Amino acid sequence: MNKEQLLNALKERLAGLPEEELKRSLDFYSEMVDDRVEDGLSEDEAVAGLGEVKEISDRILEDIPLKKIVSEKVKKIKPERKLKGWEIALIAAGSPIWFPVGLALGITAAVLALTFYFVFWILIICFYVIDLCLVLGGICGVVMGIAAFAKGLGQYGFILVGAGLFCAGVSIPFFFLCNIIAKGMLKLSKSIITGIKSLFVRNKKDAEADRRNESKNESGSKTAGDKEEEPAAKIEDKTVITGDNKEQPVI
Amino acid sequence: MEIQLKRGLLDVCVLAAIKNEDSYGYQIIKDISPYVEISESTLYPILRRLETSELLTVRSAEHNGRLRKYYHITQAGLDRIEAFKEEWKEIMMIYKFVTKEGKEDE
Repeated sequence: MNKEQLLNALKERLAGLPEEELKRSLDFYSEMVDDRVEDGLSEDEAVAGLGEVKEISDRILEDIPLKKIVSEKVKKIKPERKLKGWEIALIAAGSPIWFPVGLALGITAAVLALTFYFVFWILIICFYVIDLCLVLGGICGVVMGIAAFAKGLGQYGFILVGAGLFCAGVSIPFFFLCNIIAKGMLKLSKSIITGIKSLFVRNKKDAEADRRNESKNESGSKTAGDKEEEPAAKIEDKTVITGDNKEQPVI
Repeated sequence: MEIQLKRGLLDVCVLAAIKNEDSYGYQIIKDISPYVEISESTLYPILRRLETSELLTVRSAEHNGRLRKYYHITQAGLDRIEAFKEEWKEIMMIYKFVTKEGKEDE
């Protein structure tokens, strides 16, 4: 992969980011490749040394709040043409219908997200509670077993003590299993969030085109689609220079 | 090393790398690498974060016919390094305690 391809791949993955944020990232990685090349590497080696494109874009996404990404997306969805008078009238007249529907959809989505979040944590807690139960069960079993012995119920005593020890024994490896599960779940939730972000940010058309290109590339060279983007990329590079020093801090 | 701990440490490392003179991305990586592993994809969000919290400022300067970003430490950035040194004294005390216990066991 050369520099151009890397930047295009990043651009496609981060298409939904605020302009300024996107330019900044592309600038940084462009500079990184140039500096590595200046240090004696070939362009391909330099790009390869930066790691996977997914890794790069994930790191960038992680640090940008989801709220910012979504509001940027909403801004971009704005209708391209002005609405005609009768359309506005129609929308206004229909508001008793679409407003409650939209509201209901919004609330449902929010509730679903919240539920998912709670279920997630409760699941983790459940595992630990199970482990605690095993420990308590173990202690109770042993105590009851001894009590049973004292009362002369030897055979029940054996069963109780045995079951108690078994529970206590199982609880130890189970505790470590819990830790592994909790860690895995945390990792999973993190990658789900990054996944949601990249859903918003990825340019769908580009992503599809890219997939088609990939299958074509196996037999041939790069398609014209990449070359068409070239001039646009260069113009953007220049605008960065001026916008550079008056950056607004991220919220 | 634990990710959260390393993240905090890398912030200070980057500040230290530009403490004496302004530096640029690739140079920062080369300076830090012998001490702790750092990649471009880790450095980018760190620089972004440090800039947002005004611990450093960025300027673009021409180099070999292209632009390169140079990072300059602010007073707040210098303060952050000093604060880190103070914190580290506490951590060293803890380290002493932890290792001392080890010796008594022998």
